[in-house]
Amino acid sequence: MTKCPACLERFGPDGQRALAEHLATRAGASDSDHVRWLNQNVGRRRTDAAGILRALVPVFSVGPGGLAGWIRGRFVSKFFGAVPHPFVAALQRPARPVLLGYVVEHQHFLRQWVRSCAHITAATDDPDVIRYELDNLVTEFGGSGPDRPSHYELLLRMGEGLGLPRDRVLATPPLPATRRAIDGWEAIARNEPWVETMAAMHSLELIAHRDLVRDGATLHYFDPAILDDGTLASAARAFLREGYDADVGHSEEALALIARHATDAAAREDLQSTFLRSIDLFDDYLIARLQRANDYAA
Amino acid sequence: MRRNYTGCAICDSTWGDVWAEVEGERLFFCCGICVTQFRHLVDRIKASTGWPTVDAIEISGDRRGRRCVAAHGADRFGCFVAFNADGDVREFRPEAPPSVSR
Repeated sequence: MTKCPACLERFGPDGQRALAEHLATRAGASDSDHVRWLNQNVGRRRTDAAGILRALVPVFSVGPGGLAGWIRGRFVSKFFGAVPHPFVAALQRPARPVLLGYVVEHQHFLRQWVRSCAHITAATDDPDVIRYELDNLVTEFGGSGPDRPSHYELLLRMGEGLGLPRDRVLATPPLPATRRAIDGWEAIARNEPWVETMAAMHSLELIAHRDLVRDGATLHYFDPAILDDGTLASAARAFLREGYDADVGHSEEALALIARHATDAAAREDLQSTFLRSIDLFDDYLIARLQRANDYAA
Repeated sequence: MRRNYTGCAICDSTWGDVWAEVEGERLFFCCGICVTQFRHLVDRIKASTGWPTVDAIEISGDRRGRRCVAAHGADRFGCFVAFNADGDVREFRPEAPPSVSR
């Protein structure tokens, strides 16, 4: 806990007290990112820096499941808890506007995805990480010939299948919340160690991890029955199935690589803060998909 | 305006230190986004009901969505509201307010 999980300001390896004081000061100044983080992770009742310091201990405490288990647990409680994220709720049996909101905003996310993975690849010396990222780039963006189109191509085809031409999708700028999230992930890629960028980005693939029920998820990303019951257009089915089939392996392999490289306590705590920042950005970005869906609801 | 929250007018948090005037009254908020949310909520209630003012508002729920019961004199109005990251209304749905127990 030596890096602020709301703004990523650094406080050094023994900076826990400085971090607590920073959170108290920024919240006292009514900064929305810091107030939000405290509301959601510490509680809604104001306390002093000493109280914040005490409250941070359980937030960052890694249990017997190790760092990967901690990441899965935090992710599940944020997106798949008793009140699931509204986009997850809407995607269970998605209406056309929800899928179109997904298409229009996610094209921007996937382009940032490529940049973030490229930053990791450029910075690491681990051949396993390089191979993992290259495979991920091909799956998500490059594709492997006409029989195995990329996730990005499948996304655009989903839009076309729902009546939204790709040139209109590609010409639509991101909503402000999507823009802020992308800028946040770009800043992480440029300024933070590659293993933290890896945690920030590949933990997000947990969203489509179909085995999170074992970690306490109350539901899946979408109702798996929609892949087979004929309620979805074929292009939408192909897009959702690709993530459903790929993201268990993608996210689990990434978590293992992350755990291998974040071995000392200071590096692990920094990584935890970067991950927490990333899932706040992702939360807002998923809401932006719903906001965009309203454009197609009339 | 009577409210059920003692902290921030929309989320009840006691972090932050923003004071903003809404309906002629200075209210406490934890951050600027909550000010935006609360003003939008009051505007939507007034637009839906035609009331000139909102006398009272009770809020429950969390950031994923809030249920509200507003009052003007003896009239009551219920709604569900959810916001986007900027504090603008993403979803607003009138609902029957819970019946008053006597």
